[in-house]
Amino acid sequence: MQEQNPEPRNPLGMDGIEFVEYATSQPQALGAVLQMMGFVPVARHRSREVTLYRQGAMNVIVNAHPEALPGMSAPGAHPALSAVAVRVRDAEFAWRRALDLGAWAMPTRASVMELNIPGIHGVGDSLLYFVDRYRDFSIYDVDFVPIPDAPAHPPALAGMHWFGVVQSVFADRSRDWVDFYTHLFGFAPLPGGQYFGILPKGTLLVSPCGKFYLQLIEPPSGAEDIDWEERLLRVGIGAPDIGAATKLLRERGVVFVDRAPVQTSDKGALTQIYLGSVTFELVKGDLSPARAGSGS
Amino acid sequence: MNVDRFGMDTITLAGPLEAKLRAVRDGGFTQIMLAARDIVGHPQGEAAAIAAVKASGLRVTGFQVLRDFEGLSGHLHDYKVDIAKSMLAMCKALGAPVLLACSTTSAHAEDDRARMAADLAKLAMLAVPFGIDIAFEGLSWGRFVNDVPAAWDLVERADRYNLGLALDSYHMLATSTPLDILDDIDPARIFFVQLSDFMWTSTPTPDERRETARHFRVFPGEGVHSDEIAALVRRLDENGYAGDISFEVFNDDYVQMPLDTVVARANRSVQWLLAQVPRRSLPFRRRAG
Repeated sequence: MQEQNPEPRNPLGMDGIEFVEYATSQPQALGAVLQMMGFVPVARHRSREVTLYRQGAMNVIVNAHPEALPGMSAPGAHPALSAVAVRVRDAEFAWRRALDLGAWAMPTRASVMELNIPGIHGVGDSLLYFVDRYRDFSIYDVDFVPIPDAPAHPPALAGMHWFGVVQSVFADRSRDWVDFYTHLFGFAPLPGGQYFGILPKGTLLVSPCGKFYLQLIEPPSGAEDIDWEERLLRVGIGAPDIGAATKLLRERGVVFVDRAPVQTSDKGALTQIYLGSVTFELVKGDLSPARAGSGS
Repeated sequence: MNVDRFGMDTITLAGPLEAKLRAVRDGGFTQIMLAARDIVGHPQGEAAAIAAVKASGLRVTGFQVLRDFEGLSGHLHDYKVDIAKSMLAMCKALGAPVLLACSTTSAHAEDDRARMAADLAKLAMLAVPFGIDIAFEGLSWGRFVNDVPAAWDLVERADRYNLGLALDSYHMLATSTPLDILDDIDPARIFFVQLSDFMWTSTPTPDERRETARHFRVFPGEGVHSDEIAALVRRLDENGYAGDISFEVFNDDYVQMPLDTVVARANRSVQWLLAQVPRRSLPFRRRAG
């Protein structure tokens, strides 16, 4: 296609992940897992059963609000990674641009006086939000009430920071999703063979801000009978020293898978599956905490 | 080329959806191309139609047809996006992997190829979360895009992985499209092939093409362009096309005949087609490469 005015490489002014959200009918159980991973509950939503956990620059929202949006599932017992919010220069612009290019708008669920965070449908039942208020004041200032005596900004354990998100896709569908993330957000696929961590497979895309990655995983060949669906699978958490991070987390009770092919190494580690669906992947990559936290 | 790649198209048959599904399955076909009116026109409603399709055991080849999508602006564009969303939702409910979209005939569309390509790219993007492919077909009476080269040009400009071509032998014959264009097209970008012939030698005007297309098609092997259809199927086979082939045969007489009689004619056409191509069985793949 001929383009007279090629778009900038970061058309939305993307600036990293603002939060990831899990939906679950067992918020206490997931909260316990998150706390084991070093997250601290810092605030609760004013009107819904929603809690904000935080460590360092990572925000995790646990949403146990029982009413699903139209056409989507209510939270189940197995927590599901249900949303990723990305920081952008202008959320309204990013949202409208995405709709113009073929994204599906997400119906709002904000009540009066609550922040209406624009979002689009992502993979499966998941949503992708655009957030532009993260510099002078935060979106949590509007909808959330701080938990008494909780630290507002608990430091990250072992220098941990967002590394990325892993998504499962159906066989032969990776390139559709590459189109999705490339054209709607400005992600760029990395050349084949460039991987991080201990799971070198699938298709890797880097965000236009260079602050996080997406990994698209198709079902393994010869596994047609596996119950495979398209969804957000897990988050990747970066750490400068995997040995130090796993030691600290093990002391807090986190169990890492310790058998091939996902054996803990200096490249990364994978936790066991919690609550039937939740795992965390630790990755040593080239995204330093300093870079991840900078405004680029 | 093997028999399982051939499917029937519901528009070729008369009667209620369940009778069509039963006749196609009993006739030995394993797949069915569905039309929106099969679903929304079902007397017991959409859910019953979807249940009937699932219960039939037939694989759904695809779903048709989204018309006049590209080249509109303002409220007309927004309206068509809504229609497209509704059709994609039906595709998903039916397990249809492909939505057929045909080139615009609208007097309100503008001949702006960049905009048309952007519209098709948008349609393809709408389909990504559902895992659906968009197959774009150049109608031989399309206002701006009326043959395979023009349709392929738009698909290439749009440049989305889940956007490809639907080829219909009828339109290729009606516009006397040379087969050499197929050598310029990656066979993996052809998502779907529809076959039919017709009874007259030529259809010089768009009005004649539309009239013939909607009333006087016949199965391959029954018309006057058998050599051309055989050459088309051979070329597709040689080039490595490994997708589905469906009989879209609009014919006023066929919809006045018993379903099993029409399906028998379809079966005779399958045998005729198999005799036209070398006996090698390509592995079926939805997407090559």
